[in-house]
Amino acid sequence: MRKHFGWRVRIPVALLVVAVGLTIVTSSFGNTTRHAARTAAALNCGAGTGQKATGTPIPLGAIVTNQPGTSFTDITSMAQAYFTCVNDNGGINGHPIQYTVLQEQTQAPQVAAEANQLINTDHVVGIVGNTSIIDCAVNGATYAKAGFNLIDAGIASQCYASPWSATVNMGPRYSGDGAAQAAILHGAKTIVVDQSNVPGYQSNAAGIVLIGKQHHVKIVQLAANAASINGETEAERIVQAAGPHGAADLIFTPPVALQILQGAQKLNLINKVIWTCATPCNTDFLAKALGPAWNHKLFVNAEMNEVRDDNGPDTKLYLSVLKNYGQAVSGGIGSFSQFGFVVGQLTVQALMSIKNNTYTVQTVNAAIRGLKGFKTDMLCKPWYYGNAPVHLPNNTDYTVWPANGVMHIVPGSGCLPIDPVDPVVAQVRAIEKKQGL
Amino acid sequence: MPSWSSFQPFIPIGLALGGVYALSGVGMVVLYRATGVLNLAYGAIGALGAMIAWSLINHAGFPSGWAYALAVLIGGFSTLVYGAVFGPLLAPRDPLVKAVATLGFALILLGMMTWLWSNSAGIARTITFPTDNSGFNVGQVTVSWTQVIAFGFGLATAIGATVFLRFTKLGTAMRALADDREITATLGVPVRRVEAAAWFASGLIAGATGLLLADLDTLDPTTLTFLVIFTVAAALIARLRSVTLTFVAAVVIGLVDNLVTPINSITSYRDMTPFVLAIVALLFFARGRQYSFARGGIR
Amino acid sequence: MEASGVLTRLGSSMRLSRGDRIQVAVIAALLVFALLGLPQLLSLYWIDIFTTAAIFAIASLGLGLLVGRVGMISLGQVAVLALGAWVGAKLCFSTSLPYPIVLLLSGVITMLLGTLIGLPALRVSGLYLALVTLMLAGAINVVLTQINFPNGGKGFLGFDELYPGSIRRPSIAVSDPSFFRYTVIVALLMFALALWHLRSKPGRAWAAIRQSEPAALTAGVNVTLYKMWAFALASFVTGVAGALFGSSSLKLYNYEFPTQQSIVLFAVVLMGGIYTLWGAIIAGALLWILPALFTIWGINAEIPTILFGIGVLQVLTTAPAGIAYQFPHDMMRLGKLLYRLIRRPAATAGST
Repeated sequence: MRKHFGWRVRIPVALLVVAVGLTIVTSSFGNTTRHAARTAAALNCGAGTGQKATGTPIPLGAIVTNQPGTSFTDITSMAQAYFTCVNDNGGINGHPIQYTVLQEQTQAPQVAAEANQLINTDHVVGIVGNTSIIDCAVNGATYAKAGFNLIDAGIASQCYASPWSATVNMGPRYSGDGAAQAAILHGAKTIVVDQSNVPGYQSNAAGIVLIGKQHHVKIVQLAANAASINGETEAERIVQAAGPHGAADLIFTPPVALQILQGAQKLNLINKVIWTCATPCNTDFLAKALGPAWNHKLFVNAEMNEVRDDNGPDTKLYLSVLKNYGQAVSGGIGSFSQFGFVVGQLTVQALMSIKNNTYTVQTVNAAIRGLKGFKTDMLCKPWYYGNAPVHLPNNTDYTVWPANGVMHIVPGSGCLPIDPVDPVVAQVRAIEKKQGL
Repeated sequence: MPSWSSFQPFIPIGLALGGVYALSGVGMVVLYRATGVLNLAYGAIGALGAMIAWSLINHAGFPSGWAYALAVLIGGFSTLVYGAVFGPLLAPRDPLVKAVATLGFALILLGMMTWLWSNSAGIARTITFPTDNSGFNVGQVTVSWTQVIAFGFGLATAIGATVFLRFTKLGTAMRALADDREITATLGVPVRRVEAAAWFASGLIAGATGLLLADLDTLDPTTLTFLVIFTVAAALIARLRSVTLTFVAAVVIGLVDNLVTPINSITSYRDMTPFVLAIVALLFFARGRQYSFARGGIR
Repeated sequence: MEASGVLTRLGSSMRLSRGDRIQVAVIAALLVFALLGLPQLLSLYWIDIFTTAAIFAIASLGLGLLVGRVGMISLGQVAVLALGAWVGAKLCFSTSLPYPIVLLLSGVITMLLGTLIGLPALRVSGLYLALVTLMLAGAINVVLTQINFPNGGKGFLGFDELYPGSIRRPSIAVSDPSFFRYTVIVALLMFALALWHLRSKPGRAWAAIRQSEPAALTAGVNVTLYKMWAFALASFVTGVAGALFGSSSLKLYNYEFPTQQSIVLFAVVLMGGIYTLWGAIIAGALLWILPALFTIWGINAEIPTILFGIGVLQVLTTAPAGIAYQFPHDMMRLGKLLYRLIRRPAATAGST
């Protein structure tokens, strides 16, 4: 359509273009990312003073996947809840934490852009709580170059095999290892590893293969598209592949794992194999949905403790922060919110250790790197960052099972060290010994 | 090649899913014949009903029977509203335009659902029927009553629709509409009312489909929305005309899709089944002038 | 003599009227602003986003041509984009060809693949073509999930799960701002290519086909050939866009090309306007700049999906030519309103 547009058109068009353009340009220069509103309550967070922090904010950032079918926002929401609690209790020497969380939908340019937004526009001094399928892979070089040491809840292998990231969790690979170890403990001769074919999934089963070799257990690897999975079909497929004395090692997000387990139940397959699952299954929602038929029939490798079996101070604080500040945490009690809580605690510990009230990229990330011996009743071993090419501080964890609608630690199981036949685990244990971590 | 006993367990699963695809396929074909609209929002509408039912059961304490009934009704009414607003608006347009409009509707519903029912990874939503865990054994294979119901529903709807279209006044009016809307109107048939009936009925079927798929598959808005592809594949094989053929095609699709599972060499490509079958149907059956429209594109 | 003949023919096939000259001036000004001004004004976040918007503007160009000029609806263009990305990544890793050649080859190979795969689909039209393309997109996506994208590994598929490499960029445009400029120039070339087609014989043939296929046949237009040509052109530009997409994000994942995205791409192309090339730019902006704004403002990422659904319905029922046509008209009416409001007080002031 060729039309000659007179000035009556051009002025409003120009005005509108200028308005949108100004928005974009000003957001390039200013810190315009919106921040969550706060609620007040007095708890033992951070300094525990009960006074609202009013100094200059300390900007921190995070990138989290939130797309239909996969959402890890509970982790960052819980970290945010903890930071809000800390801000209501004196902050960091009077400085409140300003936590910017950017959500992404697994589009690499978007994820790369968001790292740039945090670092160059929002000028964050620390990046903590990242939980993203591709962030570690896409932004690793950016973080390393800008001097950031991340405390994250890693998924991709790059989050573990890099000097610039240390995770509070174990991730699908090592948690899958732990589940496989539980299966072998209970007599499995074949283990079927089934997982969602997310980007980077291929290396998740490598450790299980090594463990299988060491214990003379056959490993079968399967993968499925989580979006189109049918629970009964998949359960049948797993059971057929497992054969007699078989076990299943499921590495899926809770909704998909639930589908498969319910499918197994519908086909009367609960007792056909030993069912095990990586950490995502450790959530009350799953335990409740599974019902009594699954009591003691599912072994879940839990990267964090079981809040009901534990009366420690950190667990108590977690529960009260969740209750008072965790409205945005839709999953409630479970691994994901526990990750966020521990991320929060570690970050605050690092920030508190900084002298002279100078919170820059250098000081904050040096403090994070210096974290060591952080004891919490949520983890089996003290958490540390340290100077190392790879990080896996959480390499010893629990095994839980469903019992009447909630998850409980399997009695007599204690803390299970992940098998060092998986190379990074051996490497990390050696570093721990050498550096006294 | 896996043994017969490896294939066996997948048969009831395949038949059940096929039955549900047939159920929705019949709804889709009847609607197309009456209004010329290929409702690609079918899955989304079913998903909406199922998600609302879930919320009612888990957050408002509704008894499941009422929630499920409501889900079916919501399917009916939301489809009716869409049909009442956009049906007349787009009536003179190409079937392509009408189908694309339903895509817009699907996007709206999908966006709304994923916004309202976010998927923070701790939440595992399910719809379960009391018949899920009770069943019987046929040899080595467990068959649940839900699977029987799903297949039965599909069969009953296919038979019912055929009978309805052929022997009732309203059904005959729908068939007349399919042939020529203008002439039917001049014959004194209350076109708007017949169309409304078609929209509403197909919407009820969409609601029922959503619930059944939520039980048999998963209660996830995106997955349920895109399961419409199976339905479309079946409807296309039936050339959007024959209800009987839709039923047969749907059951075959469900069976093939599931029976491929134990064949290790192609099982990772299993997700291609509906696409491949639909493409074959479109290209093989869509030869000939009647599938070429004189005016293409968005007009 | 021959050269001047070619130029005369080129010039006469691109006769510039006064309206055209204004448009060229506007385009030139915008171009200068995009190449020189934007990289200075925008943060890295926005440069990354604008780069991707430009890439999808190219993809929208292809789809817009198909829909608006020929009347062929493709609901699988994102799968074509994925093909282009795959080819581009493969060429980047397996060869050391100069980048412009990589782009060109990506476009050509995608064009061949797209035409080959789409050839049987050209027999059908209307609703069935749309459905076939949707199904093809779904099938391609499943295949991509299995074979993944090349990332520096060995073998034909070139996928290495343990040590993924980064896709290279042109040696003159490695930094984000310079890659943005490079993308804008490539986009300009693609738009020029499209414009050249529209102003010459293929454009006229397409217009005839869109008007009425049987009539075009009777008039002697080789309908099948020109349909194929449109498909080929659309696949070519989308292939180039795909290669750029790989270099832009340095890593590729099959999660970035879901079937739903093909439907959303079609929605924004429709909203942007299928009867003018400006619509493609609006489409790219809707798809990438709008959601990026929402991310910064903390607005839920599902809202754009809802907006696009509403947009589709709106375009189909009331504004078939999309924002590119509707917006200036709405602005014109707004402008007239403002003009009247400003004039009236002046008039009353003058009369007292």
